Amino acid sequence: MSELASLTIAEASRRLARGALRAIDLVEACLARIEQHDAKLNTFTTLTPELARAAARQADRELSAGHRRGALHGIPVGIKDIYETAGVRTAAHSHLKIDHVPTVDAETVARLRAAGAVILGKLTTHEFATGAATPDQPFPPARNPWNPELQPGGSSSGSGAALAAAFCLGAMGSDTSGSIRNPAGWCAVSGLKPTYGLLSRRGIFPLAPSFDTAGPMAWTAEDCGLMMDVLAGHDPLDPASADVAAVSYGEIAARATVAGLRIGWVRHWYAHADGASEDMVRAIDEAADVMRALGATVEEVTMPDLLDYQACARVIISAECHALYRKEVDRHPEKFGYTTRRRLQLGAFLTAEQYVNATRFRRKLQLDTDAAMRGFDLLMTANHYGPLDRFENPPVFHFLAKPPLPNPFNVTGQPALSVCCGFGRDGSPLAFQFAGRAFDDATVLAAGTAYERATPWRNTRPAL
Amino acid sequence: MANDGHDISLDEFRIRAAHTGLKLTEEDIVLLHEGYLGMLRLMARIPADLASEAEAAHVFKPLARPAR
Repeated sequence: MSELASLTIAEASRRLARGALRAIDLVEACLARIEQHDAKLNTFTTLTPELARAAARQADRELSAGHRRGALHGIPVGIKDIYETAGVRTAAHSHLKIDHVPTVDAETVARLRAAGAVILGKLTTHEFATGAATPDQPFPPARNPWNPELQPGGSSSGSGAALAAAFCLGAMGSDTSGSIRNPAGWCAVSGLKPTYGLLSRRGIFPLAPSFDTAGPMAWTAEDCGLMMDVLAGHDPLDPASADVAAVSYGEIAARATVAGLRIGWVRHWYAHADGASEDMVRAIDEAADVMRALGATVEEVTMPDLLDYQACARVIISAECHALYRKEVDRHPEKFGYTTRRRLQLGAFLTAEQYVNATRFRRKLQLDTDAAMRGFDLLMTANHYGPLDRFENPPVFHFLAKPPLPNPFNVTGQPALSVCCGFGRDGSPLAFQFAGRAFDDATVLAAGTAYERATPWRNTRPAL
Repeated sequence: MANDGHDISLDEFRIRAAHTGLKLTEEDIVLLHEGYLGMLRLMARIPADLASEAEAAHVFKPLARPAR
């Protein structure tokens, strides 16, 4: 393991700031690991080493001249391949967009560049952030660095896998129905689905616009906070963008203050006969004890049924993604993967009445969740159920299985963070979520940081 | 309930599929029928009698223009 590539953003940034590390050396360390190991993990669909080297040298010139742009200056990052990148192919893991080279960066990518981050290339995703890992797509699926026979979770699959493999220090994901938190949890990294509207969606391939949320992924929650300092902010050209006061996410996360926090523990969503694995239930029980030992209060709380959130999310997402992609699926069905095409078509069978009823139900669930959360600062629940999926025969309609644990916070728009809490007996990563009140992403990150510092899970990387 | 409590047979679903205007193979229709039945089971949880006050807020804002 290259020591440099496995640094956190916070530590690398400190070294860069005091001149103890050059950005070009950090980038070369990441590129060397990618060169050595990515053929078996498939995390990058497009690598831009010369652009990255040029950006790193520029960062070194600026840093040595005393012009430090902030914590991400000189930090190597990867970008999920649904974010548009000027001059660099953005294929969305799709035959349809295989030759698409945007002329303008997505707003969040532009913010990363302006902050001096070094973009290494584009990361593998699921087709248009919704398809499954099937062999009829233009790039091979990313594999899980902890066990390449296992899926890394999706749809930000390359982002999660590349971070765990120490190919980059930060990555962009997107989360419509768990697509940041699934791969973060499955790959034992940190991933924040920010409050809906806090990050611009402009320049990102949409899936379901009323749910689509851009967000940071990194090795630690503190690093996600440092990325949020750059990424969050009002974008007048994104109609869903919220105009809220700036917050120092990285600083609040680094303080990691949790004494006095009241955490509502939603155990009934996953601790039942058809729920999470024994390992997952035990690991989250122990995580609750850790938070208590750190000075937080943890009490079980009853929330609406998980199936209610799933029903609401599935109707709205199916209708919105069908409306967006119908024309292309009609014209070029052969250019879509066999799971993607059917998932996009299912919305054609929904009625206007069903869609409107789901949007009204969404409002009710937001109010009911808020009422149940009264008296609590955070919620805590499982991130996923346990043993990870293999690659054989992905289901066409994944929603026919257990209700996804990330869904509630897509429905409510609240911030939610995936936090690694150990490994199962089969070696699979275990994870829980912290969810906060809307626009209180900083408290979520602080709690995640406190937990990570109190436990050993950030000290272990997969053996490649 | 939004689906009026009914399931839908494969033959009924074929008619429905024809009305969508989608170009579908028989395999597509069988798979989509399975998915739609799953969707109906989920939609049975969604009340059809929520008041319009439950709508998401629609707030009109001045249109933003790119800076020149």
